[in-house]
Amino acid sequence: MDSEAARTARESLELAFHMSNILETGLDRQTLSVLIALCDLGFNPEALAAVVKELRMEHSSSSSSSSLTASSLSIP
Amino acid sequence: MEDQKILDLVKELVHRLQSQNLQKPPSKNPDSINPNQALRYAIRILSSRLTPSIVADEASMAESIKRQLATQGKSSQALAFADLYSKFASKTGTGSVNNKWAVLYLLKVISEDRNITKKQSISRVSNSVFVNSAVSGGLPALFDGELSENLKSLCNREMPGKGWSGGVLLVSKDPENIRDKAFREFANLVKEENDVSEETLVRDLLYSARGIDGSKVKFDENVDGYVLPNSIKVPRATRVMVQKLSELGWLFKKVYGYVSDSKAEDVGTVGQAFCASLQEELTEYHKLLAVLDAQAMNPIPLVSDSASSWDYLSLRRLSVWFTEPMVKMRLMAVLVDSCKVLKGGAMAGAIHMHAQHGDPLVHEFMSRLLRRVCSPLFEMVRSWVLEGELEDRYAEFFVVGQPVKAESLWSEGYRLDARMLPSFISPSLASRILRTGKSINFLRVCCEDRGWADAAMEAAAASGTTTGKGGLGYGESDELELLVVEAAKRIDKHLMKVMYNRYKFKEHCLAIKRYLLLGQGDFVQYLMDKVGPELSEPANTISTFKLAGLLETAVQSSNAQYDDHDILDRLRVKMMPHNTGDRGWDMFSLEYEARVPLNTVFTESVMERYLRIFNFLWKLRRVEHALIRAWKTMKPNCITSHSFIKLQQTVKMQLLSTLRRCQVLWDEMNHFISNLQYYIMFEVLEVSWSNFSNEMEVAKDLDDLLSAHEKYLHSIVEKSLLGERSQSLYETLFILFDHILRFRSLADRLYEGIHELQMRSINSQKQRGESLEPGSWVTDGKKALTQQASKFLSHMGKELDDIGKKYSSLLKGFISQLPVQQHIDLKFLLFRLDFTEFYTRPRAVL
Repeated sequence: MDSEAARTARESLELAFHMSNILETGLDRQTLSVLIALCDLGFNPEALAAVVKELRMEHSSSSSSSSLTASSLSIP
Repeated sequence: MEDQKILDLVKELVHRLQSQNLQKPPSKNPDSINPNQALRYAIRILSSRLTPSIVADEASMAESIKRQLATQGKSSQALAFADLYSKFASKTGTGSVNNKWAVLYLLKVISEDRNITKKQSISRVSNSVFVNSAVSGGLPALFDGELSENLKSLCNREMPGKGWSGGVLLVSKDPENIRDKAFREFANLVKEENDVSEETLVRDLLYSARGIDGSKVKFDENVDGYVLPNSIKVPRATRVMVQKLSELGWLFKKVYGYVSDSKAEDVGTVGQAFCASLQEELTEYHKLLAVLDAQAMNPIPLVSDSASSWDYLSLRRLSVWFTEPMVKMRLMAVLVDSCKVLKGGAMAGAIHMHAQHGDPLVHEFMSRLLRRVCSPLFEMVRSWVLEGELEDRYAEFFVVGQPVKAESLWSEGYRLDARMLPSFISPSLASRILRTGKSINFLRVCCEDRGWADAAMEAAAASGTTTGKGGLGYGESDELELLVVEAAKRIDKHLMKVMYNRYKFKEHCLAIKRYLLLGQGDFVQYLMDKVGPELSEPANTISTFKLAGLLETAVQSSNAQYDDHDILDRLRVKMMPHNTGDRGWDMFSLEYEARVPLNTVFTESVMERYLRIFNFLWKLRRVEHALIRAWKTMKPNCITSHSFIKLQQTVKMQLLSTLRRCQVLWDEMNHFISNLQYYIMFEVLEVSWSNFSNEMEVAKDLDDLLSAHEKYLHSIVEKSLLGERSQSLYETLFILFDHILRFRSLADRLYEGIHELQMRSINSQKQRGESLEPGSWVTDGKKALTQQASKFLSHMGKELDDIGKKYSSLLKGFISQLPVQQHIDLKFLLFRLDFTEFYTRPRAVL
């Protein structure tokens, strides 16, 4: 029984991961599984998405922070 | 416990995301990414939005993602996604994802976010400054530093590769789709349950709506309706619905049957208009059916492929389509039913009764119908009121004409037919309409007048309607009334003008009063003098021509000769049918010839009543005349009184008393007759005439005039005791007249006798004077004379007593009857006759 549940869970995750890839979310399996777990716990998907977005931004900001001073003037 | 788990998961998430970031080339200022702060930030975001902004619907979410992919041109990916999703959704039970919608939504939002980020990546300026400040300064530190250490160590780990490079693409559509399977099963079930498909039923119903039998739904004579035979197996609901919808076909059949069966001769113009408007409605109905036919061609889809076509026709849709036609058709069928036996105005009235409906649809429909139906009727009214034409080939109009002689055209020529009077025309208006047309016809036929056309034109102009066709419609009853009133006003005015000016109605009335009602005193006097001797002859010896000549002489010798010749020409002598032994007095009468158009007023019955009045008045005049003639002979003068001196004392006394009695009786009679005469002339004739003249002045139309004249005549008849109620009184009066006439002859005889006596006594005196010697025979003769005189006088006295007694008893009876008469004016007559209470008091004493 447990093993079946585990298999279902795995398959579900696999399917979700496929979908995530098709949608080009750029999430890896582990992150996705965490997000799914949080969703199951009833968190607002919008909020989760916002978290993902914000923390990624941090990443992009960190990656582009070198050009910060140069391009800050060109803010539309 | 739960919280801890959540916290762990969030930590893990933040860690993963940050580690993802870190796999990129390391940033120059790694301090800025503080895992601790990031965690706090994440928790803050999560706690700020607890509920999603859209409704949770898994299928529609999947659909929206699919569509989004398809619009982006990634159809193969969309297909693959659909496939994945169907599998994902089918995972149920333990271990599966519970909140699938949330996952899908999450994926979608992240995907969208990324797309935006990608698109903007070139022009985008990092808002890391803001983020940094927000993370470092804006958020208070909630967690310990060790957390950040932990995260930092994880950040340094290298990630194996990009997560989204993989994915399986499934091209084929899943044949084991459960939904499809279910629908297919449902379709099979439907097929099993029904012998006929819904399309066939719909098509059959459309046929039946045209009154044609379909392949399955057929007209059954026994049931009187369209039925689906019981042999065909359909669900009960379908059968009921077919039954309901096929009612339309039954109704159509009824209406169409009426429209196609009714012939012009049978239904008349109103019926034709009714049929035409029904036909128009049916055309509209056929148009709808054609549209429905086209829709019925589309196959009825199952619930699954609703997108294929929307304009198909199922039984339910048909029932919606049929709602309005059903109401109208039902209405038409009801009208057809109620109008089948009716025609003309009655039909319009019946339809009008149905138009009193609160439903705006029905009301609008009915008034449209009525406007058409009533147009021939209103056209008839118009031509009747303005032209006097009765264009009524099918006997539909509420005015009915019948061929009659000219003099009774007004009274009998036209009448209202109450059955044909529609209820929206009030009876008063109808009678006004009748009278207006009648006036025109009267003017045309009896008066040969053409002036009414101008009056009618004026009326039409005043009411704003052209004399052309089609001015009035149903619902414009005000306009109709205006037209009728205007026309009536003008036509009546014109008619009265013609009557008064051209036909001199007033003059003729006056002439009748003067000659037939003996208003012209000198004429009556002369006539009485001239024809009196002639009339004393037996009736069969009198020649009418001679009397006519005498009448002419009477006219010529009186003031009447200055009258209009036209009027005098009309005055004739009329001999009434007589019995043997009648005197000329009994049959003589005057007649006034009333020609067209005056004979509309002076009809034969009216002239008969005039004749009765004339006869009464003539008799009264004759009695009066007789009394006056009697007075001529008996008035006391010195010659007569002187001659009596010579008579013997006893005889003289006898003579005087007889004479006195005679005088008293005469006086009594004269009192009665002169007062009666006065009453008739001044309180009956003149008063009635004055009222009549006033009413003539204000009479607006011929009907007013007729009724005024009728009133005039009636009041004369009633007041002169000629009415039925005073029959006995009238008879008494005639006996009184007879007595007076008897008295007159008696008085004549008396005076003749006296005159004879006188002559003889004068003769004897002469003889005595001549001989101058008292001869014995003379004395003898004188004695004989005295004897003869006393005998004669006593005989006369007896007769006088007899007449006097009879007369006074009759008069008493007459007077006692007067107060119980209905007419108030007769009481004045009593008052006049018995002013001193001479007649009533002695009786009271007795």
